[in-house]
Amino acid sequence: MTALPHPSARLVDGPTGTELAGPRLVGEIAAAAERLTAQPPGLMLTTMPTRTQAVIRYLAALASGRPVALLDPGLPADFLLDLVARFTPAVVAGPPAALAPPYGYRADGDSWVCPGAPQPHHQLAVLLTTSGSTGNPKLVRLSRSAVFTNARTVARALRLAPGDLWPTTLPLHYTYGLTTLNCHLAAGAGVLVTEHGLLDRPFWSLTESFGATVLATVPYHFEMLRRLRFDPSAHPKLRMITQAGGRLRGELVTEFGRRMSEAGGGLVKMYGMTEAPRISMLPAERLADKPTSVGPAISGGALSIDNGEVVYRGPNVMMGYAEHAADLMRGDDLGGMVRTGDLGHLDDEGFLYIDGRLRRIGKVFGVRVNLDDLEWLLPGHGPVAAVAGDDRVVVWVEEAGAAARREVAKELGARLGLHWSGFDVRAVDRLPLLGTGKVDYRTLEERT
Amino acid sequence: MDDLDRLRAVFRSTLDLAPDAPDADVDGLEYRAIPQWDSLAHMSLVAAIEDEFDIMIDTDDVLDLSSFAKAVTLLDKHGVVTAG
Repeated sequence: MTALPHPSARLVDGPTGTELAGPRLVGEIAAAAERLTAQPPGLMLTTMPTRTQAVIRYLAALASGRPVALLDPGLPADFLLDLVARFTPAVVAGPPAALAPPYGYRADGDSWVCPGAPQPHHQLAVLLTTSGSTGNPKLVRLSRSAVFTNARTVARALRLAPGDLWPTTLPLHYTYGLTTLNCHLAAGAGVLVTEHGLLDRPFWSLTESFGATVLATVPYHFEMLRRLRFDPSAHPKLRMITQAGGRLRGELVTEFGRRMSEAGGGLVKMYGMTEAPRISMLPAERLADKPTSVGPAISGGALSIDNGEVVYRGPNVMMGYAEHAADLMRGDDLGGMVRTGDLGHLDDEGFLYIDGRLRRIGKVFGVRVNLDDLEWLLPGHGPVAAVAGDDRVVVWVEEAGAAARREVAKELGARLGLHWSGFDVRAVDRLPLLGTGKVDYRTLEERT
Repeated sequence: MDDLDRLRAVFRSTLDLAPDAPDADVDGLEYRAIPQWDSLAHMSLVAAIEDEFDIMIDTDDVLDLSSFAKAVTLLDKHGVVTAG
């Protein structure tokens, strides 16, 4: 069984520069696990800020066998209360200080606890939300073996070793961020825990002084790296950039792949989703050869195409969704198979190419957005149609002037908690319609 | 409109502040201190300042541009007159 963390794993606390490794890390986790054990058994709901204490708490939950739902720390209080009401967690760790415990809960240190909460399925380990803050998020149920197998498989595929160090460039409540954390810790490598991002000077000084070797990115990070005139040769220890979270523009794949390989490193494209954290990976040495592919299935997994839809089978597939507390008691609903909702094809070597989306789902800066829901958020703007662009959503609005377009982008940004520049609002005289009277999204996608 | 006002206008518009947000509020802005000024807004802000003042902002300046006051310093460095 994989150890998570591996005995040689280390956490570097960005704000203090302190390194937690070996017996000290083990001791911190054990102490946190002991505190957790004293609380009523059952699900723990916790926000997952990019802080060392949150990582320790998560590892303590894994160590003590308590299932943990990791939430966006920016989640509004009413969403948190809705999740508490729907899932009846035994423990809510670190709720907003200003909020009183809801009915049935009492404060216990920095947590709310509910004695007598329902007991989840014994294989359940980690729960993540399907979407940021749109609608009523479902929780994805991941078993202990899925989490551990996923961490081990990705660690091996990336050839992570104790000398590696990843600075947290991704939120840890996000499947790709959590996978990156887990695979480093399972490989005995290091994670530099910092809330600073690519545009903060302290991020780069920490990266330099601790010798980061891996940069995990989503497409918008490449715009930032470009803006910063990022030069891999100025970071001799950096050996790998991983990319997931949506399609990276071809020119950026080529540019960064070339520059990384010139500097003796590589760009690794990956494909995954909350429901199956990592599905495929394109090794850096195949990037030049197949730049538009996301690679073959990861070890232990298998890809197939059913009516155009990408289907994945593997040991890291979720047990199923949960919409209410009762669902947490369910066992494995899927038998290791998930339909991805993406359209794709495989080449003769089994390399996967994503061609589009079956469901109306777009991504804005790596965050999944249901395009139909998004259209419902825009009453009063006349006929609108949203289609997925490259890490943006393109919103077509009939007869919209510049001011109206800007207004729509800002409204969507505010409602969805995403920056408005993620919404490319365009004017159209009349939305194209199909014979059925429905919007002809395919035509709009072609224009996008 | 003087250059300081142009800079304030860039901040108000890029960071989606109220058009009538008092100058003093804009002048005190710091990166990440308000939800509107996150890393994505920062990218838009840098681009908007470049466009408005027709300057090129280099890597160090992108990383240093952590407040409105720093943006004023940056414009001074590029020879845009912002004082009185």
